[in-house]
Amino acid sequence: MSRRSTTRRRFLGTAATATGAAVAAPYVITSKALGDATTPPASDRIVIGGIGIGNMGSGDQGAFLGRSDVQYVAVCDVRRTWRDDGKGRVDGKYGNKDCAAYVDFRELLARDDIDAVHIATPDHWHAIMTIAACRAGKDVYLQKPETLTLREGPLMIAAARRYGRVVSGGSQRVLEDYRDIVNPCWSGEVGTLEAVDISVGGPSMPCYLPAVATPPDIDWDLWLGPAPWEPYNPGRCDGNFGTGGGSWRSYVDYSGGSLTDWGAHHFGGAIFAADLRELQPVSVAFHPASGGAGPYVSLTYPNGVAVHHNRPQPLRPERPSVAHGGDIQVHADGTPREGKAVPTYKGEGGIYGDFIDCVKTRAKPFRDIELAVNTMTGPHMIAIAYRLERSLTWDRSSQRFTGDDEANRLLDRARREPWIL
Amino acid sequence: MAFDLNTLDAPFAALAGFDWGADADFFKSIDAAVVAAHGDASLRGDLEKRFGTLLAGSTSRATKEYVCRKLAMIGTGVSVPALAALLTDADNSHMARFALERIDLPEAAAALRKALGMVEGSLKIGMISSLAARGDLPSVAAISNLLGGDAALAAAAAAALGTIATPEAAAALAAAKPAGDVAAAVIDARLACAEALLAKGDRKAAKAIYSSISAAIGDTPKTHRERAVRVAAKRGLLAAAE
Repeated sequence: MSRRSTTRRRFLGTAATATGAAVAAPYVITSKALGDATTPPASDRIVIGGIGIGNMGSGDQGAFLGRSDVQYVAVCDVRRTWRDDGKGRVDGKYGNKDCAAYVDFRELLARDDIDAVHIATPDHWHAIMTIAACRAGKDVYLQKPETLTLREGPLMIAAARRYGRVVSGGSQRVLEDYRDIVNPCWSGEVGTLEAVDISVGGPSMPCYLPAVATPPDIDWDLWLGPAPWEPYNPGRCDGNFGTGGGSWRSYVDYSGGSLTDWGAHHFGGAIFAADLRELQPVSVAFHPASGGAGPYVSLTYPNGVAVHHNRPQPLRPERPSVAHGGDIQVHADGTPREGKAVPTYKGEGGIYGDFIDCVKTRAKPFRDIELAVNTMTGPHMIAIAYRLERSLTWDRSSQRFTGDDEANRLLDRARREPWIL
Repeated sequence: MAFDLNTLDAPFAALAGFDWGADADFFKSIDAAVVAAHGDASLRGDLEKRFGTLLAGSTSRATKEYVCRKLAMIGTGVSVPALAALLTDADNSHMARFALERIDLPEAAAALRKALGMVEGSLKIGMISSLAARGDLPSVAAISNLLGGDAALAAAAAAALGTIATPEAAAALAAAKPAGDVAAAVIDARLACAEALLAKGDRKAAKAIYSSISAAIGDTPKTHRERAVRVAAKRGLLAAAE
C-alpha cells in the first residue's frame, strides 16, 4: 500500500467532516478521481491546499490546478470573496463542490490528507505559516519575498531542514526573465564579474491611513496577525501590486516595499546571474545624496563582487558588459573564462513543475528556501542601511551586524500576541 | 553638525495630538532626529524624554505606537519604565514589547519578566514570545512552569524553550506531559534544543533527545506530521553519531 493511497483514503474521511470555519461539502468520487489516459488516479496525485488565494495566490492556484498530477482540495483566505472565488475555481475545474474553504490556515494545515501548500499571503505571515507547515509535515511553495525580517530566514531554513521538507521560494522570473544576463555570465563569455547595478524602487513606508469601518468580508484581526494592530482601511490591505501607497506592499508592517517585492525578482535574477546565491553580503555601504543625485547603497559579497542599488548612472562604468534593459547592468572584466551549465528547473511546467517534481523526488527545488533567504538578505540589509543612513558590516555566522546595536535592533520585530515565531 | 533641538518642538506638539488619518508630514522631522541620534547622547536623551512624556500622557494609541517604533530603534534604560507601564495594557502591550524586545539591556528583560507574572492569556503569550526572541536565560524557569497549564500558553512556552534551547530548557521540555497540539509543540521544541546542543558539541545530550523522540514516534508513523518528526529524529541521530 503506497503512502499516497493511504493519505488519499484518509482524505475521503476528513473532507466531509472538516469543522470550524471550514466549508466542506461531502466528498463524492467522480470519474476524474479514478484517472484516465492523461490524468493519474487521485491516489497518485500531490494533494495541495492554498493559503492566501487572492492576486498572486490565484495565479499560483491556477498553475497548480492546471496540473494533472495535482489534486487541489482546499483554500484558505481571511477574505470571504477571495475564499469563495478560490473555492469556485477548484470546484469548477473538478466539476464538484468538494474544495474546502478555511478562514484560519491552522485548520487547513491540520488536515493530514494535504501533502503540500502554496502560500501567497502578505509577507508578514510568510515565516509563521511556512514554519507551521513544515511542522505539520507539508511541503511548501512560498511566494516571494520569502522573508520580511532577517531573523526569519534562518528559522525557516531550520524548520525545512529539520523535517526534511521541500520549501521552494516563489519567483518564477529569476530563471525565466533574465536569460539575457544569466546566460552570458554563466557561459563565461563576459569574464569575471566585478559589479552589478540594480535599479528598482526603495524600502516600504509607514502607514498612517485613517480608520474605516471594517467590512464583514474580512477577518481583520487575522489579516493583521503578527503585525501591529492598526485600524482597517482598504488601502492598508489592498492586494494590488503598487508600492507607492494604498496597498499592503507599500507598508513596512507587511512588506519590504518595492525593494523586496519587485526587488525579489531583480535581485534574484542579478544574484543568480552573478552566481551569488550561496553567499550572503559581508557589508553594506550607504552613500549619501550628492551632486543632485539621491542616496544609493552597495552590497559587497565575500568574493569581492559589488551589487549596487540605484547607483547614479554617472558613477557606473560607461558601458555594462551585459544588461537586462535599464534595470540590471552587469560589469565584468571582459576576459573570457570557463563556463558552467546554468542550473534549471526539474520536471515540467516552470517553477511550479519544479516544486511538484521535488515533492515527488525529495530533491531541492531551484529556489530552495536557503537560496531564497540568501538572496533576500541583500535587500533587507539595503533597507536597514537606508533607514539608518550608514554603512554596516554583516557577520553571516552570527546573523548579526558587527558593532552596531541599533542595526541589530532592526533584525526583527516583536510579533503581536498570540503569534510567536 | 549638532541637531537643532528647537526644530523638534512643533513636530512633537503635533505628535501629541496625532491619530490615524491626520497629516503625518511632521514625522519626517522626528524620524530624521532619531537617525541623527546615533552617537549623539544629548539628542538621544532629549528624544527619550519627549517620547517618555507622550507614553505617560493621555495620547492616542496611534501616538503611542509611533513612539514605541522609535524607541525600538534608540530606546535606552531611560525609556524602560514608561514602556514597562504599558505592558499590562491590552491596547498597548504589543507595541511596548515592540520596543522592549529590541532594547538589549538587562532592565528591558527584567520588565518583560516582571510583566510575565502580571498578565494572562494572549498578553502572557506576548511576554513569552519577546523573552524567547531575546534568548532570555533567566526566564526559563518561569516559562517552564507554564508547560502544564492552559494549552495555548503551554504551546507558546514550549516554542519559547525551543528558541532559548539551553540544557535547562531541554530538561523542562523532557519532563513535560503534554497532550494534543501541545505535544506537537513540545516535540518541535525538543528537536530545536537537540540541534542547539549538537551545534555546541554536546552529542550525548542531543542523542538522548533524538532517541527519546524516535522511540515515542515509533517505526510506523501514521500522519504527515509523525513522518516528518521521524525524519527529524532519525536525521538527528545520524548527526549526533558522526
